[in-house]
Amino acid sequence: MIAIASVTKTFDSGKGRRHLALADISLDIAAGEFVSILGPSGCGKSTLLYIVGGFIPPSTGAVLVKGERVNGPSPDRGPVFQEFALFPWKTVLGNVMYGLERRGVGRQQAQARARELIAMVHLAGYENFYPKELSGGMKQRVAIARTLAYGPSILLMDEPFGSLDAHTRTRLQNDLLDIWERDRKTVLFVTHSVEEAVFLSDRVVMMTRAPGRLKEVIAIDLPRPRSRATLLLDRRFQDYVVGIERLMDEPAQEQHR
Amino acid sequence: MIRPGPTLAPLAACAALLVAWEIGARLAGIDGLPPASHALAQIPAILGDPESLLHIGASLRRMVVGFALGVAAAVPIGLTMGRSRHVAAFFNPLLMVIYPVPKAALMPVIMLWLGVGDASKTLVIFLGVTLPVIYHSYQGSRAVEQKMLWSAAAMGMTAPARLVRIVLPAALPEILAGCRVGLVLALITMVTSEMIARQTGLGNILFNSLDMAQYDTVYAMIVIIGALGFVLDAAFEWLRGRLVAWAEPSHPIMVGTT
Repeated sequence: MIAIASVTKTFDSGKGRRHLALADISLDIAAGEFVSILGPSGCGKSTLLYIVGGFIPPSTGAVLVKGERVNGPSPDRGPVFQEFALFPWKTVLGNVMYGLERRGVGRQQAQARARELIAMVHLAGYENFYPKELSGGMKQRVAIARTLAYGPSILLMDEPFGSLDAHTRTRLQNDLLDIWERDRKTVLFVTHSVEEAVFLSDRVVMMTRAPGRLKEVIAIDLPRPRSRATLLLDRRFQDYVVGIERLMDEPAQEQHR
Repeated sequence: MIRPGPTLAPLAACAALLVAWEIGARLAGIDGLPPASHALAQIPAILGDPESLLHIGASLRRMVVGFALGVAAAVPIGLTMGRSRHVAAFFNPLLMVIYPVPKAALMPVIMLWLGVGDASKTLVIFLGVTLPVIYHSYQGSRAVEQKMLWSAAAMGMTAPARLVRIVLPAALPEILAGCRVGLVLALITMVTSEMIARQTGLGNILFNSLDMAQYDTVYAMIVIIGALGFVLDAAFEWLRGRLVAWAEPSHPIMVGTT
């Protein structure tokens, strides 16, 4: 589904200095797979996601999606950002409808579809609210609905719950899994929370400190559908979390893969 | 809820100004400073005179045309500057040079090209309006969140479409702040242009009366211009409030906090 092939990214940090953000990343993601990218802040994990999204180009290497080289954003790859990035001049309904209308769906139909999605993210009744009137968790629900609306087969989630309080965060994690179970889209999910990564993912991709390299890819073999309450008591879940945390604390030795 | 404070305060300020003027003028006893009561007494006569209404109408017409053309030209320039470093690099030095020049000071030169009629005055008003509107549109456009544009790009919107459908509405609060400054500058340049090229208009009445030592009329005109500015600004603020209500800060609703 997604093939990341030898991607590097160098940023020009001014005055002729160059900063290597990503060093030779290669990774394949299967259709319907939920993959988290885990790493310390500044390791380039979001940059990798933006490259897959086509928002920024790689310096070398390429990303192939369904066999085709990524040259720019596409409605097939829907982003969800930590900053929500809602259109503040549009209501909740207007935001969710926006992508549908841009894709030529008729107003009536777009509205009906948007209302379904708003109900699915548990915001029925808030259709006519403006983003400024919503809490962070509600904004992120709107952003998820807005992205799902135009039917991408891949979701690119950039620390979507990173700015939310712990309670809201776990509720959104549960709801995201519920939504994902319905049609099993391919998800690339960036986070710095080990627990979040293990809870959500089929595989966890660990990255090193800058310049970001792949450190380890860990398959999470836990039954689905998952529920937080059972997983927290599950020995295997605890082992994954503790094991990954231990790996993260290891000094950045020359890990090769 | 009745809150008398905010409504009464501006009225009290106006009254205090008039009282100070009245007393000051009577104490000073200078020809050039008639008491407020004499000046205000002229206002009904001026507003009742069809000829002066024609003058005021002509002034307002030029102002509206100059303002509208200024905004129409400035917003696209400002928005494009905010999204393209090359466009910004091209316009910035030009704006830096033009900014400190008092636009009305260009009036005599412009009169050489376009004469003393509407065209010169409208052009000067246009010049006065464009710079603040460009500047604010530029700032507003630059501040548009990158992720918002990416979200739109993922919906399949091209760069020109994003400029109109995302950058323009996102920057609207800032653009309108620029328009508000532009509106006041339009009024100022309108009066100054009529001072330099006297023919018609509010400024024409004002400065002709000054030449003829009709000081009551001079001050009455100043009051009228001030009131006009106040009304225009209030009308604009009302319109702005309706257009960008979505941007005004408000308390998030905390029912069901997720």
